[in-house]
Amino acid sequence: MALIGSARRSRATRVPPVVLAFVLVPLLAEAFWVFWPALQGFYLSLTSWDGLSAPKFVGLGNFSEMVHDSVFRTAAIDTVLWLLLFGGLSAALGLGAALLLQQERRGIGFYRAALFLPVVFSLVATALVWQAMYQPDGLINNVLQAVGLGSWQHAWLADQDTAFYAVIIPALWRQVGYVMVLYLAGLKGIDPVLYEAARVDGATRLQQFRHITLPQLRSVNAVVLSVIVIDSLRSFDVVWALTRGGPYHSSELLSTYMYSTSFQSLRLGYGSALAVVIFVLAFGVIAGYLVRAFREAD
Amino acid sequence: MTAFNASRRRFLVGAGAVGTSALLSSCVTQSPAASGGNSGGPVTLQSNLSSPQAKTAMQSIVAAFDKRGGAKAQLNTVASETFRTQLPTYLTSANPPDVYTWYPGSVAESYAKKDLLLGLDDIWAGPELSGYSDALKKLCTSASSGKKVFVPTSYYWWGVFYRKSNFAKWGVKEPKTWDEFLDLCDKLKSKGVAPIGLGAGGDTPWVASTWFDYLNIRVNGATYHRELLAGKHRFDDPEVRKVFDTWDQARPFFDPNGTAIPFQDATTALLQGRTGMMLIGTFFADAAPKDALGDLDFFQFPIIDPKVPVAEEAPTDGYFASARTKRTDETKELLRYLATAEAQELYLKSSSGTTLPTHPDAKDTGTPLVIKGRKLIESAADVTQFFNRDSSDALQPTADTALVHYLAKPKEIGSILTTWQRSAQQIWSQ
Repeated sequence: MALIGSARRSRATRVPPVVLAFVLVPLLAEAFWVFWPALQGFYLSLTSWDGLSAPKFVGLGNFSEMVHDSVFRTAAIDTVLWLLLFGGLSAALGLGAALLLQQERRGIGFYRAALFLPVVFSLVATALVWQAMYQPDGLINNVLQAVGLGSWQHAWLADQDTAFYAVIIPALWRQVGYVMVLYLAGLKGIDPVLYEAARVDGATRLQQFRHITLPQLRSVNAVVLSVIVIDSLRSFDVVWALTRGGPYHSSELLSTYMYSTSFQSLRLGYGSALAVVIFVLAFGVIAGYLVRAFREAD
Repeated sequence: MTAFNASRRRFLVGAGAVGTSALLSSCVTQSPAASGGNSGGPVTLQSNLSSPQAKTAMQSIVAAFDKRGGAKAQLNTVASETFRTQLPTYLTSANPPDVYTWYPGSVAESYAKKDLLLGLDDIWAGPELSGYSDALKKLCTSASSGKKVFVPTSYYWWGVFYRKSNFAKWGVKEPKTWDEFLDLCDKLKSKGVAPIGLGAGGDTPWVASTWFDYLNIRVNGATYHRELLAGKHRFDDPEVRKVFDTWDQARPFFDPNGTAIPFQDATTALLQGRTGMMLIGTFFADAAPKDALGDLDFFQFPIIDPKVPVAEEAPTDGYFASARTKRTDETKELLRYLATAEAQELYLKSSSGTTLPTHPDAKDTGTPLVIKGRKLIESAADVTQFFNRDSSDALQPTADTALVHYLAKPKEIGSILTTWQRSAQQIWSQ
C-alpha cells in the first residue's frame, strides 16, 4: 500500500524498523507454528495416512467417503444441534442473567461471581464433577429418588437418548457466565437517559427492552455471536471427558469424531479431512460476520 | 479502511500461494533416515504404567539396573492414553526414546512390518531369554521379517471373578459348563443380585470386548477368532451371529448399569456384593483393597461347545525397542536385564503381584489365586491376547461401538454387525 500510494501518503505511513520487527517476528513465528501445520493439514486431508508409512495421495477420496459416512452425518447434525442449543441457550440465558444482575444492589456481586465462577474452572475438571453427578448412583439420581421421582432415574451418559443433552448442560453452565459478563459490560454502556426518556413517554418495560436495550446491544451481540460460534465448533473437551462421543456415536460432534478417527483409528488422512470441514464451517461463519462488520463500518 | 484490507488480503493470498507450494514439498510426514550407533547418555525407557503401584515398581527396576554398573536407564512415565496416541510419533521420530512398554503379537507386528523395531535375535540367543517357552518365542517373532522384536516380561489371565464369602452366603458353586453358568445366574437373580457385572462405561468400554473374545473362542475357536480379527472373515458372517445368539442367553443377567460405569466402579460393586461376578483381567485387583484380595476367587469362562479346543485369554506384556535407537548396545543391555528372573521378581514384589513372570525360573507371588491362574493358562490348548492385541489398537474402537450398541439395543444386532464390518474394513484396508 505504501508502494502504490502517493508520495505524500507514503511519507505519512512510513513504518519505523522497530515496528516492522514487532510485526514480522511474530508473523514468522505464527507462520511456522500455525500456518505451516495448517497447510500440512490441508495436504493431509487429500491423503490416506496411518501415521507410520508415507502418506498416500488419494485426491478428494476422503471427502467423497464423508458423503456416505453415517457417523459423519450424525456428527454434523449433532454439531448443528449443538450450535443451536448451546449457542441459543447460552445467549438467551446469559442475557437474562445480565438483565437480572445489572442493578447495583447489596450482595449482587456474590451472584455475579457465582455465575462467572464456572468460567474460571478447567472444563475437564468441571466435566469430571458432572460425570460423578450423572453416575447411576450419583447425585442426580439420588435426588430424584429422594423427591419421589425414582422412575426418572437414568444412566444419563450411557443412554443414547440423553447423553447428548447431558453433555450440553455442563457446557452451558460454564458458557452462560461468560456471555453474562459480556452482556453486563454492554448494558453498562447504555446511556440511562434513554430509559428516562422512554419512561417519560410511558413505555412499558417490555417496550424499553425491545426498543432500547436490544438495539443498543447490537455491537455486543456481534461479539457474543462470534464467541458462541467459535466455542461451539471447538467444543471438544467436555464431550470427550464425559462420553467420548458415545454411546455408539450418539453424542458425537465433528471435533470428537475428528479426534477419534485421527488418533484412535489412526486414519489421519480422513481425520484431517474432517478438520478441514470444521475449518471451513468456522471460517465461513466468521468471514461472513467480518465482511458484514466491515461493510457497516464503511 | 477498505483499500487497506483489500491489499492486505491480496498479500495474504499471494503469500499463501507461494508458501503452499514450497511447504507442501517439504512435509513433516517425511521420515528422516534411520541411524544407529552410540551417542552416550542413559537409555530412555518410555513407560505407560502410570498407576502408582506399577510406577513405583518400574522405578525400583530402573534403580536396580543402574546399581549394577554399566549402562544407565532413565524412566519416562507417560499417561497411557497419551502414550498410545503418541507411540507412532515416537517410533518414527529421528531421535526416539529407546525402549517402550508395549504388547507382542499383531500390535508389535504392525510396527515391525514398517521396520521400526530393533531386531533382538542376538539377545534371545543369550542366557537370559533362551529358556523362555516356545509359545513366547513364537509370539515375539515378527511374521514379516522372522526376527525377534519383543521381550516379554509378564502375563496375566482373565477369568470370572467372585467373592468366596458371597458365593458361600448365596449357597452357589463355580459352574463348569454354559448351562450351569446360566443356572447360577438365574439363582443369583432370584436373590436380588445383578449376576454379571461388566464395567464397560466411562473410559473403559473396551472391557466389553472380553465377552466377545471369550464367546468367540468358545463357540468358534481361537483360530477362527484370530482370523476374524485379521480381516480373513467378516463380522456379519453367521459364525459371528452365533456368538451374539449365545450372548443373548446371558444378556438378561448383566448388570443394567454395565455400560454406564467404568470397570473400577464395577469392581467396587462386585466387592460390595451388588453384583455376583465379573469377567475381568487380574489387573482389576490393583483397585481392590488388600483385605478383599484374599476373599477373591475366579473360575474359568464356562465351556460352551466341548468339541472346540479350550483357549484362554492371557495377554503378555513386555518391551520393544526403536530401530532408530542411537544406543543399541545399552538398549539391549537393559532389555536383557528386564528379561532376568531377578528383574521380574522385583517387579512382582513392588506391584500388586497378580501377574505371572515369563522367565521360567522367576517365582510368582505364590498366592492361591496366582497358582490357580497359572494352572488355567498352562492347561489351555491355545492362548489369545485380547481384542486389540490380536488385531490393532485402531480396530478396538469399532468393537467398543458395536458391543456397547448391542448391549443397549440387542434387537438391532443385524445392522450393528453390518456397520461393524464396514468400519473394520476401513481400518484393514489402510
